Amino acid sequence: MVGKKEPPKPKPKAAPRGAKAKAATAATTKSGPSGYDAEAVAQKDGKRALAEDVVGAIPTAADDGAHTSAADKARRHKAPLNSSANEFAAMLEPFYYGKHLTDPINTAEDKWNLLPAFLKTKGLVKQHVDSYNHFVDVELKKMLKANRYVRSDTDPKFLLEYTDIRVLQPNRAEEDDLPEGHRSSVTPNECRLRDMTYAAPILVDIIYTRGGQKIQKRGVKIGRMPIMLKSNKCVLSGRNDREMAVMDECPLDPGGYFITRGQEKVILVQEQLNKNRIIVESAKGLMQASVTSSTHERRTKTYVIQKKGLIYLRHNTLSEEVPIVFVLKALGVHSDKEIMLLVAGDDSAYQENFQVNFDACAREGIHTQERALEYIGHRIKLMKKPGGMRMRNYHLEAIENLSNVILPHVPVAGTNFRPKAIYVALMARKVIMAHLDSKLVDDRDYVGNKRLELSGQMLALLFEDHFKRFNHDFKLSIDKVLKKQNRAQEFDALAHFGVHKNYITMGLERAIATGNWSLKRFKMERAGVTHVLSRLSFIAALGMMTRISSQFEKTRKVSGPRALQPSQFGMLCTSDTPEGEACGLVKNLALMTHVTTEDDEGPVHKMIFLLGAEDICSLTGEEIHREGVYAVCLNGTPVAATNTPKRFLNSFRRLRRMGRISEFTSIHINHDFHEVQIATDEGRICRPMIVVENGRSKVTARYLKALRKGTMEFEDFLTRGLVEYLDTNEENDTNIALTETEIGLYTTHLEIEPFTILGAVAGLIPYPHHNQSPRNTYQCAMGKQAIGAIAYNQFMRLDTLLYLMVYPQQPMVKTRTIELTKYDKLPAGQNATVAVMSYSGYDIEDALVLNKASCDRGFGRCQVLKKHVTALKSYANGTQDIINAAAVESGPEFGSIGPDGIAHVGARITQNDHFLMKQIPEDTINNRVGIKHKTQSVKHKLEDCSFVDKVCVTENEAGVNLIKILFRQTRRPELGDKFSSRHGQKGVCGLISPQEDMPFNDQGICPDIIMNPHGFPSRMTVGKMMELLSGKAGVLRGTLEYGTAFGGSKVVDMAQVLVEKGFSYTGKDYLTSGITGEALQFYVFFGPIYYQKLKHMVQDKMHSRARGPRAILTRQPTEGRARSGGLRLGEMERDCLIAYGASQLLLERLMLSSDAHEVDICEGCGQMGSSGQCRICDNDKGVRKLTVPYAAKLLIQELGAMNVKVTIGLEDEFERGYE
Amino acid sequence: MSGYTANQATTAQDASGIDINARAVNYTCGDCDGDVQLKRGEPIRCRNCGHRVLYKKRTNRMVQFEAR
Repeated sequence: MVGKKEPPKPKPKAAPRGAKAKAATAATTKSGPSGYDAEAVAQKDGKRALAEDVVGAIPTAADDGAHTSAADKARRHKAPLNSSANEFAAMLEPFYYGKHLTDPINTAEDKWNLLPAFLKTKGLVKQHVDSYNHFVDVELKKMLKANRYVRSDTDPKFLLEYTDIRVLQPNRAEEDDLPEGHRSSVTPNECRLRDMTYAAPILVDIIYTRGGQKIQKRGVKIGRMPIMLKSNKCVLSGRNDREMAVMDECPLDPGGYFITRGQEKVILVQEQLNKNRIIVESAKGLMQASVTSSTHERRTKTYVIQKKGLIYLRHNTLSEEVPIVFVLKALGVHSDKEIMLLVAGDDSAYQENFQVNFDACAREGIHTQERALEYIGHRIKLMKKPGGMRMRNYHLEAIENLSNVILPHVPVAGTNFRPKAIYVALMARKVIMAHLDSKLVDDRDYVGNKRLELSGQMLALLFEDHFKRFNHDFKLSIDKVLKKQNRAQEFDALAHFGVHKNYITMGLERAIATGNWSLKRFKMERAGVTHVLSRLSFIAALGMMTRISSQFEKTRKVSGPRALQPSQFGMLCTSDTPEGEACGLVKNLALMTHVTTEDDEGPVHKMIFLLGAEDICSLTGEEIHREGVYAVCLNGTPVAATNTPKRFLNSFRRLRRMGRISEFTSIHINHDFHEVQIATDEGRICRPMIVVENGRSKVTARYLKALRKGTMEFEDFLTRGLVEYLDTNEENDTNIALTETEIGLYTTHLEIEPFTILGAVAGLIPYPHHNQSPRNTYQCAMGKQAIGAIAYNQFMRLDTLLYLMVYPQQPMVKTRTIELTKYDKLPAGQNATVAVMSYSGYDIEDALVLNKASCDRGFGRCQVLKKHVTALKSYANGTQDIINAAAVESGPEFGSIGPDGIAHVGARITQNDHFLMKQIPEDTINNRVGIKHKTQSVKHKLEDCSFVDKVCVTENEAGVNLIKILFRQTRRPELGDKFSSRHGQKGVCGLISPQEDMPFNDQGICPDIIMNPHGFPSRMTVGKMMELLSGKAGVLRGTLEYGTAFGGSKVVDMAQVLVEKGFSYTGKDYLTSGITGEALQFYVFFGPIYYQKLKHMVQDKMHSRARGPRAILTRQPTEGRARSGGLRLGEMERDCLIAYGASQLLLERLMLSSDAHEVDICEGCGQMGSSGQCRICDNDKGVRKLTVPYAAKLLIQELGAMNVKVTIGLEDEFERGYE
Repeated sequence: MSGYTANQATTAQDASGIDINARAVNYTCGDCDGDVQLKRGEPIRCRNCGHRVLYKKRTNRMVQFEAR
């Protein structure tokens, strides 16, 4: 391996390593006879070049100072970075998954190679990373530009101007004051271990006035920005596997999340209705067109509604609905004819429908713009306090309102209200059109009408809010000083600048840590935006990054938003959604989707006119709506008109394919509304597709060969126009062939690979196209609960709860998605040999019979790691929690405490063993000397013993000492542990049978699992049978088979292999009973199936109690296993006992065994007394003892507290004189 | 069952008898793997590289596992 000569070409890595794509020009040089080559990877941003492969143990001399700290150097000495390992890894990687350079290329089959190429450049969570990068690099600067001046109210001469903003590399908070050139050695894993926030300083350049002159200051810190992992600011971006390992980071980790206060937090993708677009809907029989305008300044919703045939404009700021004609008049469309033409065109049906609206003019006597403005002005709600009772200028108010508040996303340049008038007219026109033809009503659930809000946008909203607040606070504090006329010294605003910087830092951190997005400006209050990244298994973490949550309430019983939309094809996974209340509302992205970031409108705007479209403002209504004329809308706003829409469309697409316009710009024709829609906005879901021209796929064997050789990358396919991104709207405008053979005369595009309609989680299922669809959905939920390997750095992490499988295996039957998501490198399950037969009766109702010998060999064995954290708090009076080993008492429970007061690493801790001798001060309020400490040592609560796996002492950012103790349990499968195959077939272990009793075949092979055949007929999981067949063939042949959706190894081929190896083509084997030694009377379907062990284990759940703790208030037994609670006899069980008439049993269960309490009741007044005395009657004559539930006594007393008197009437049980 | 049970009683007495303040415990640095001797009240920091994550060393007592 070491001496191997590499061809002087950049090695094409088959793996999408998350690392940035190597620039195609990466120069490769031979660096000596050993054949090591130092590969210079030119990073795209060109900021730095990393030396990737360096000779043996020599420290990285070529390193350009990326790791200058002493710590790093020391570490490098410790672990000589042997590049041979790296080359070896490259050798192990198959060339585009099993294909070699010399293999023949078949475009029909090999076009899927584009998919790994796509994922290589983009990674699996590219939508999060792209969005965040866009925010930090572009959006932040725009935001600064919009808020660049800070002026003082008191001193007109004062001015502070922001000139630039940037985010540096992440560092520790204590390094913030070091000079700018300092490179921090902070790693994400350090942040996890030390409960820090992974953040970087935000720097601004400012110019401000001090005294008479302008002062320029560069690099002023205004706060800290949480950094998304693997974003371009992150220290992990563009690193290779070795460098990742040095930083204790898993190279397969997808990134895309934040670390705040040591917790990994994901900002989930939010689904919303699109902004700045007209949505026509019929609500309660009224036809309405609504637009949610969203600009930096404002978010508002405007409606145009039709009521009783009349059309009105409705807006929050207007006290009542304003007839549309008045609005158009106020917007400067003077004559009635013009209005009519602008709305209805020359269509007589529309004209007739709109006609009635002009009656209002005559009725109100409004014929001029002046009068219309006055009319609107009178109806504007007063927003400000009516403090200054000055005369309102209705005209000006109306103009202000129309230009800035109503439809603010349509720009009003100067006094040119024409675009807005056209827009309002268009809304009215759409209402009329939808009124006459109900097919034109928009579908809110259509994916093209949706936008995804990603972490970048969410952060942008948050940051802008905090930045404005920062500026406001800054202004207030300088105002306070500037108000004073005579100052002792010259005023320097910079001193006030740093005071508020904590505000931004804390605001961002708190929002991400708690998930509460509260923006005062937009009155937005959203909880649950962020979630803790689930690290149950690798796939759970990955699945979380692609999750989309909807804004719909879960309680509403509407099926529309939950249903699978045909337009979701290829964009959102068809299988991966939770069951129950969030069903269909929480979705997942499909494998090959991309979510757009915002592109500049300007160049597209220019391009529209260059392509021969006319400015819509220069056209009359007649011209706009003339037959054959199509309006060109840019992000929903009409900007131009063309009478050759098809040609316009084609030339626009050609320009896009040439790369003149951003590849994420979408264009499509809407023939219903005669519009050409161009979109550059953010949050559209799109996916790449192969371009077909003249009935030929543009991706030919030649290009695929280049891709395989590594001379071409996915980007090159884009720039050459061989592949293009289509969003949902444009997809509707195209004719897409699924396979190359299906390409016909009108085909415009070719699907890259059909299995990409599934997401990353559903992609684990082999042969999903043969399963009943709910089974795939069940598996998507269960795959996230499977125990397996979670990351390469799993032993360097200290998670609160971590499940790890001891011997995970990659599945025998893989899918392409498994390879692309690297599930085969971090698997969660084992290939169990399954016999589908009935055995012993302990396998009914989906129970599984496990082979005891298999369990001994490690089948289903897992480790559970639990963390215990103690923070040594400091108190206000200067005292502090301490760890005091001297407090150890004699006794076996203290046996494992070490000399530092913490349990030994490796010690076995049983229940009630002490593992931490913590002492807290007795007095934490008063400030005096010699406060003693009392012991509050921490005991092991679980009944099962654990071993101390790791003890970590560290210090967080606030300087508080943390002690993290990790406990380890190794568990083998036991009765009641839950297992599942990859087909939604879960079952619990019903019996662990000794191997001697298990059936075996003629080769002596014994099953690991016996599964009851009743699991198959009703569930119809044919995929599972096919998995068994392919797996068996793979075992016999020594290959890993594929079960990729809509493809994979064919059953006939597998049957052929079986026959060749001397097995039955059906997959059934002849078995001998292990109990009797006789041959089984039947052949048994027998072979390997990939089984996952799920996190639900009996050991965490089993619980019993005879007597135990009670709740203080009600004196009833506590609830739950953690509090060793009682087992509830519930309402329905109670009903059974009542119906049966078992009154004494009821009495025992509900009172005697629960909260029986003896009270003294006075016969006379019916009140409770105490110690045999009635307080009210002041005697003990008729006081009787009575046993009641304590809860009843409590209720009576609580009612008493509310002035409700409850008397208890006592009666003789047996009539007097009965005896 | 565990190797601990044998010498539990003695260690517990040892620990209480000796002045804890003087005793230093060895930790391993999470970054450079160097030894760090810490006494009570000392800042948690590697003297060699300045890293603030330290791990306790594995016990040198015998640990017995149940082979199941």
